[in-house]
Amino acid sequence: MYGRKVKLRFLFILLIILILILTTFLILKSLEENVVFFQSPSEIKALTEIKKKKIRVGGMVKKDSISVVSKEVKFIITDFKNEINVVYSGVIPNLFEEGKGVVAEGYLKDKNYFLATKILAKHDENYMPPEVKAAMEEK
Amino acid sequence: MPSLIGSYSLLFGLGCSFLIIFFSIKNFKNSNLFDSKILSFSLLQLLFVVISFFGLILSFVISDFSNETVFNHSHTTKPLFYKISGAWGNHEGSLLLWLLVLTLFISIFLLNTKNQLKDYRILTLLFQQVIIIGFFIFIIKTSNPFNYIYPEPKEGLGLNPILQDPALAIHPPILYLGYVGSSIIFSSALAAMTLNWVSKEWAKHIKKWILVSWIFLTLGILLGSIWAYYELGWGGFWFWDPVENVSLMPWIALTTLFHCVLVLEKKPILTSWVIILSITTFTLSMCGTFLVRSGILNSVHTFANDPERGVFILIFLFSLIFLALFIFFFFYKPDNVKINSFFWLSKETAILVNNWFMMYFLSVILIGTIYPIFLDVISSEKISVGPPFYHKLIIPFLIPFLLAMAIGPKLNWIKSDLRNKFYLFSFLIISLILSSLIIINLKIDFLVNTILISSGFYLFFITTRDFFVHKFQNLAQNISHFGFSLFILSVLFNNIFSSEIITNLKVGETFKSKDVIIFFEKVTKKKGQNYETIIGKFNIVDSENIKQTLIPELRIYNQPNIVTSEADIKINLLSDKFMTMNLVQNQNYFNIRYQHKPFMIWIWASVSIISFGGLISLFKKKHEV
Amino acid sequence: MKFKIIPILSILFFFIVFAIFFKALQKTSFYTPNINFEKEIPSFSAKIFKMDIEKNSEEIFIGNQFYLINVWASWCVPCREEHNFLMKLKEQKNLKIIGLNYKDKEKNASNFLRELKNPYDQILIDENGTIAIEWGAYGVPESFLIHKRKIIKKIIGPINENLYSEIEGIIQ
Repeated sequence: MYGRKVKLRFLFILLIILILILTTFLILKSLEENVVFFQSPSEIKALTEIKKKKIRVGGMVKKDSISVVSKEVKFIITDFKNEINVVYSGVIPNLFEEGKGVVAEGYLKDKNYFLATKILAKHDENYMPPEVKAAMEEK
Repeated sequence: MPSLIGSYSLLFGLGCSFLIIFFSIKNFKNSNLFDSKILSFSLLQLLFVVISFFGLILSFVISDFSNETVFNHSHTTKPLFYKISGAWGNHEGSLLLWLLVLTLFISIFLLNTKNQLKDYRILTLLFQQVIIIGFFIFIIKTSNPFNYIYPEPKEGLGLNPILQDPALAIHPPILYLGYVGSSIIFSSALAAMTLNWVSKEWAKHIKKWILVSWIFLTLGILLGSIWAYYELGWGGFWFWDPVENVSLMPWIALTTLFHCVLVLEKKPILTSWVIILSITTFTLSMCGTFLVRSGILNSVHTFANDPERGVFILIFLFSLIFLALFIFFFFYKPDNVKINSFFWLSKETAILVNNWFMMYFLSVILIGTIYPIFLDVISSEKISVGPPFYHKLIIPFLIPFLLAMAIGPKLNWIKSDLRNKFYLFSFLIISLILSSLIIINLKIDFLVNTILISSGFYLFFITTRDFFVHKFQNLAQNISHFGFSLFILSVLFNNIFSSEIITNLKVGETFKSKDVIIFFEKVTKKKGQNYETIIGKFNIVDSENIKQTLIPELRIYNQPNIVTSEADIKINLLSDKFMTMNLVQNQNYFNIRYQHKPFMIWIWASVSIISFGGLISLFKKKHEV
Repeated sequence: MKFKIIPILSILFFFIVFAIFFKALQKTSFYTPNINFEKEIPSFSAKIFKMDIEKNSEEIFIGNQFYLINVWASWCVPCREEHNFLMKLKEQKNLKIIGLNYKDKEKNASNFLRELKNPYDQILIDENGTIAIEWGAYGVPESFLIHKRKIIKKIIGPINENLYSEIEGIIQ
């Protein structure tokens, strides 16, 4: 009924659609695996279970909370409602200061204890990471 | 005074636009010859924009703080060089630079296309003027660089010290030349579509413009990356940050476009690809400006911005997209006849395959960049997409991509076979053996790394062979592909062999590990022109017992009050030693990062080689075969 | 058929993208271009108007009160505009208004105050404009709302009806 050319073309289009679906699936799947959610200390307090997924915690570095123990830096992130202890070993950005906004990326050990793998810095001294601002405004 | 002149010339420049449009439409309808008035007005417009731009630079040089832009971004103690570069280091000035390049390019275009069809020239000019007017209004309405403050402040607020850097001073202009070059491609593609002139001749002529923008874009990205490496002190050159991604996306589109145009030059296929890519490239460039300037993105590189500007660019951007879509669907009639005459093994097919790979890379980056925005709007969840996402989705597909890149140029146009191509196979075996020898003693995933490195080597060997066998034939293409293989190999080795130590030390303390001993000898304080600096002195002994002294700095700028880390980098042909330090607040400890980064210089060099290939192609008379 | 579906779909697609970006922009007040976000007030010392004493910032901003520091000058026309609002704000109990007399002559300033009445609890003199720079002021008039030694709001230009009610809202 159909010529060979039409059949070939049909197959070709089918192949393309198949590949498209496959890539979309692939992309979506790794998106799901690799996105990092942002949470404030208060949201962490309200968690019911601790997942082994990377998250970001944001808030203010509490006054007089930074201390150094050999390789590690310890400090407390607060959103003025709840706080969380952070242990971090790694590079400290220039703008990491007590009383300033901070975003730490890493894993939760439990609700009070966060193991950070990265601290994010911004170019601008007055910059407030949007997530931190949102978290602060919620109070 | 310079501000006043600048401000008025901007208005005159906008006026020119309307005159140009008026004469162009008249000329388009009535005469067969190109009206020389149009050219004169275009040059006049360029002149006005140049005056306005120099007005801004002059205001910066004489520190005229009655100008709001100068007040916000300059300071009397700033070195002259950064006063000048400060003119385009901010939002308002950078838009003026956009405008300058827009008008400059259209003038060059008009001067350069005297032998082309009159209608085509006029239509391109018209589309370009639409973009130009958009930018004029944007600048005058929402981000005028010549806003006046009265009374005049005595002192300015200063430029962010991280931006006070030679690489970053020339990074924006070069990147913009690339971005804006794509505007000409966009306008010209729209014009060619309207006139149904998407043909070999058009491809030959637009190819030059594609190359120019491509070279600048490549160099622009390179400079930004070098800057990030030594100034941000994060010990890397690419972080998959949204702001970096938005410059990479037009680059991918442009690279793909260039390859398609090469095909179109030979035979009238892939026309839809060329058109869509021309539109995409410019849209992505604009989109980059939008995303960066509107503050919609959550990026580590932040710029001062306000949402009103965002709304304007957004509306402007989508008007252009809809205009392009309208023309594409109503004017453009592709010749579908020859589309099936592809033979499976030919250069065209190889290019087509690479196109699809490129599009895949592009979509991955695009999705990774804007997905957080979408999710925030739809579900108010704040997320970020990190490097693992990109690595996972891009790296595996580099393998077939590299192989196609090696084999593709070896095929003939139209139809080809694999006889007499024995060396293709033998090189593959050599690469596999070589890379497995390198990888086998390392504690990393053997299979993926071996295959990846061997495909890198494969491209490397094949292009190197071509330098000897074919000499000057396809030289430009070969240089660029060779550069790319070098790039991939350097990045891979850099990744595999990098090592890093992060620790906290007090003055006088020593850090020991099995590879390296770091002794923190002392800190000294000094005063610079507009900053104070704390210089640390570290003695380092590495595993080969080579002693070295590294002196990273911590600069405290006075205006604005910002602390930056200046990395100390010992550059070597084979590897860089990189060190930064930072003070931990309220403690006597310094936070130290020491990195051993192999082949860094090769990454920079290879990207330069890639763009050098483009440069050769631009000046070459004969076409590629 | 095929040729009609594709254009409609793609236009629809771009409209959705546009709408989402547009909405995202509305949300994007997250970057504060306001430079002095919760910044500590600068420390300075200034002469007090018509008195021969100098006070420093620690002595001026004390306690839990709200302060409004208002940069003004007798030669500044928009300052007259906002004067009424300053007079109204004077009636607020937990707000002290401090004037920073910017690049002005003492005689002209007193005339100005005699003519329009004095809304200020205290007036500081900034004869050469250096204090205003330390505050990061752009020009005259400009006001900073201060609480517990932090700048909580910066107002560039004259205070108007809206800003007045906003200040009223904050201090209550």
